[in-house]
Amino acid sequence: MVSWLTVVVLVAATALGVLALVYALTRRGVDDRLLLVLGALEIALLAQVFVGLGQGIGRTTEFEKAVFFAYLLTVPFIAPVAVFLALKEKTRSSMLVVLGSAVVVGVLVARLVQIWGAGV
Amino acid sequence: MSDPSPDQTHTPEKGSTRRGLGIILVALYGLFALAATGRATYQIIADFQKAPVAYLLSVLAAVIYIVATVALARGDRTSIRVARVAITIELVGVLTVGLVSYLVPSDFPDKTVWSHFGSGYGYFPLILPILGLLWLRYQSRR
Repeated sequence: MVSWLTVVVLVAATALGVLALVYALTRRGVDDRLLLVLGALEIALLAQVFVGLGQGIGRTTEFEKAVFFAYLLTVPFIAPVAVFLALKEKTRSSMLVVLGSAVVVGVLVARLVQIWGAGV
Repeated sequence: MSDPSPDQTHTPEKGSTRRGLGIILVALYGLFALAATGRATYQIIADFQKAPVAYLLSVLAAVIYIVATVALARGDRTSIRVARVAITIELVGVLTVGLVSYLVPSDFPDKTVWSHFGSGYGYFPLILPILGLLWLRYQSRR
């Protein structure tokens, strides 16, 4: 895995989470700024999918391949689903769901790095 | 807000499961539906013979989470009834499997979402059905 790409993903996820928290506190809905941050996060996550697939398939040493690929391919869907929900249901709670999705993305990316590093 | 599609023109009525904190519950159930489905699929494809009981319980958990997610998200009267049944089964399931996995660990050579009261998932599988039932109860009283 490329460590700087992981850092970019985590920074973007953190930005989305902080923004969602601020919007929840100030009772704001999804706007262009939030969509831009989501877009940045998704581009980084898609890059991670390609890098992860490339390196994962090419890797000759032992690691939890199935779990790694499952996480890798699931992660990009989580934040967009949450933001879509927040677009449909314009409530403060929806924004907290977006915040939660950013946290879940961060946790799953950490798991990816962990699985990748745990192999022999 | 000017979305003219028919189901969006009226705001969710009182008692709708989607209002306010309800959507957080829907999102949590959605997340667990995803996690449980992933785990069940992986376990069955990888090595079903290793622990068929545990893996079938994983499938059951996954199905219940999916049903509960959809029912909570729909939130009409029938859905609320379906949600209540699904979540009750879920609570009984997590309590039973949690208890048995401590008493007879040999029956569970591999984990399910509900093993050890969901300790592998931050005990959320135990908390979630309680929250869900309380929420449905609170909603039906309004």
